[in-house]
Amino acid sequence: MARTYAPITAEIVAELRAIVGDKYVIFGDDERLEPFSHDEVADPAYATMPECVVRPETAEQIAAVMKLANARGFAVTPRGAGSGLSGGAVPAFKGVVLATDRLNRVIDYDRDNMTITLEPGVVTNEVNGIVAKDGLFYAGYPMSMETCYIGGNVAENAGGGKAVKYGVTGRYVIGLEVVTPQGEILNLGGKLLKDVAGYNLISLMTGSEGTLGIFTKITLRLMPLPRAAVDLLALFPTTTEAIAAVPKLMMVGGVIPTAIEFMDKTSVKAACAYLNESIPYEKAGAMLLITCDGASEQQVETEYEAIGELCLKHGAFEVYVADNATTSERIWRIRRNIPEAFKVQSPKQSVEDIVVPSASIPRMVEGIEAIMAKYDVSIPCYGHAGDGNLHATPVANPKWSDAEWKAKLKEILAEIYVLTRALGGSISGEHGIGHKRRAVMERYYDPVFLEAMRAIKKALDPNLVLNPGKIFDVG
Amino acid sequence: MKIIVPIKQVPETSAVRMDEATGTIVREGAKAIVNPLDLYAIETALMIKEAQGARVTALTMGPPSAINALKEAVAMGCDDALLLTDKRFAGADTWSTSYVLACAIRKLGIPDLVICGERATDGDTGQVGPGVAGWLGLPVLSYIAGVELPEGGRMRVRRMVEDGYEVLETPLPALLTVVKEVANPRLPTLRGKQRAKKLEIPVWKPEDIDAEVVNLGLKGSPTRVVKIHRPKVGRACEKLPAGDAAALDAASRKLAAVIVGTGVL
Repeated sequence: MARTYAPITAEIVAELRAIVGDKYVIFGDDERLEPFSHDEVADPAYATMPECVVRPETAEQIAAVMKLANARGFAVTPRGAGSGLSGGAVPAFKGVVLATDRLNRVIDYDRDNMTITLEPGVVTNEVNGIVAKDGLFYAGYPMSMETCYIGGNVAENAGGGKAVKYGVTGRYVIGLEVVTPQGEILNLGGKLLKDVAGYNLISLMTGSEGTLGIFTKITLRLMPLPRAAVDLLALFPTTTEAIAAVPKLMMVGGVIPTAIEFMDKTSVKAACAYLNESIPYEKAGAMLLITCDGASEQQVETEYEAIGELCLKHGAFEVYVADNATTSERIWRIRRNIPEAFKVQSPKQSVEDIVVPSASIPRMVEGIEAIMAKYDVSIPCYGHAGDGNLHATPVANPKWSDAEWKAKLKEILAEIYVLTRALGGSISGEHGIGHKRRAVMERYYDPVFLEAMRAIKKALDPNLVLNPGKIFDVG
Repeated sequence: MKIIVPIKQVPETSAVRMDEATGTIVREGAKAIVNPLDLYAIETALMIKEAQGARVTALTMGPPSAINALKEAVAMGCDDALLLTDKRFAGADTWSTSYVLACAIRKLGIPDLVICGERATDGDTGQVGPGVAGWLGLPVLSYIAGVELPEGGRMRVRRMVEDGYEVLETPLPALLTVVKEVANPRLPTLRGKQRAKKLEIPVWKPEDIDAEVVNLGLKGSPTRVVKIHRPKVGRACEKLPAGDAAALDAASRKLAAVIVGTGVL
């Protein structure tokens, strides 16, 4: 795609300043622009410096920026907290990065309707702090919850640790205010649990990775807060045994566990070293972290005992129980810090996000083990085993040069993706395509599907100014 | 070998809310856990048990719900537990608490070792462990950061002091209070939880431990918490403008004077 965009001139900067205020435009200062050049993707090859950053405060300001972008022909890339893992917030065609951090207000918290309406820059973790006192909670649980914004979660349709039982972000988005690529303000849905008037544009916008609109208000549906929760950490001698146990743990006692997370030994070891944690992982080839929650302690106790017994029956040699927030956090911290632990080890790695039908996970893991042997490469695996979403992470063999690593990674990923697709899976379960996986998208997905997406993109963004270079090649 | 580990149930720190008017902890609705620092005492006892065999008993004084803290200790691997609960125990200060625990330990039979956490995260005094040793006339070794296995009725420990460590040897029986460095607490296991659920934990009252009622509870406590308040943190800020070289010079001098004057340097 050889599309060109207008460079950001002094004139355009003056116009942007007039819209958002002098203070909120960053231009000509590389040190301040640099943080907006990347997200959490480890490889610096995916970073691009923006020419300018704007930090608007209202939907009207964002609409004005988009109108200007269409008039002047420059690219705009929206950005949340920058904790993404596919380059969605990276300005692939330079131009303007539109940061949503100043839109961080809670607009309306409606206890009776069990909804909360937020601006996109609210930190997701804060939602539960606001609503817990009323016995409510927001069930979306991305692993970067301490930092990520709700706007980014909706843009990527973020999944996370509790998706097995509670589903992903999209299940809870019932209303949106969106600034369209052409600068119109579009209102979708509201506080309704049912609404079939017209196309379901909320679903289209959720997970559109900032290519179809910029969210300015998000209405989330809240759920009753479970009164009790228990985590189990089950230690298995091998990866195969741990993974084989997963399908057997679903629906024990007629209930789907809240989370079934998988971590292989390399992942646990890296996270434990990073956190200075000492759980006895040496004998364990892999671990499952299983969460049960429910309306009463008795109910959860029955459930976790049954699940724990099943783990022991299917090869676990130890099952630890965490039934208070302190111990529970000790276990979940390990799981959440794996990506960060790998990232500090080396940038020569690629966090993948494959997802397969959950019963196919054992075959996927076997396949990855064969690829490891074939290429003499380490591919630690961790992820959401309960919903089939595995973060296989090829890490460069230290003997390889940068060039060798790049060439081999391409082959390794090709094999992983071919296997994933053959098992009926997808190349991204929750991180998104962004520009990191765009080429792969073109290669492994149905041309009819890609063409339908192109038609939608062109209809909503005829000048292709909003977040260009992401998901697919517009042509 | 017999080891007794006195523990305390405390509100979970992440859930603690303070009543601004009274300055006390709001305990209603807050989940209770084993005092995190007591987990290190339990772990130390369990390490000794694993290495050379021992019977480890967890002991607590508290409301009836404190039985959950004892169950957690059993789930981690303690062999048995004892709960001291009675209205007359309520409101005890560290003197009265250590008296009651000492009476119970005497009744159970003086073990080879009593191991306590350094302090509780709610009261934060660190007095109960040494107090128990005082009542029982046991040697007390506080702030222990490392232990060697007991041998021939003696034991060597590493004690954390301000500028390093002391290596001490004590005859047994003795009482240790341990710090975080001593061990890494294990997590409770499923089998442990199941055993704890079934275990009948005895509940004792003042009569069961031959305690003198005048020494019990709020009435028997010689000390009182008169007031708890948040210290006021004063962060006065002064801006020193330094627009040009002359102003910068004056500002630097003023800054230097402030640093010297406050004794930072």
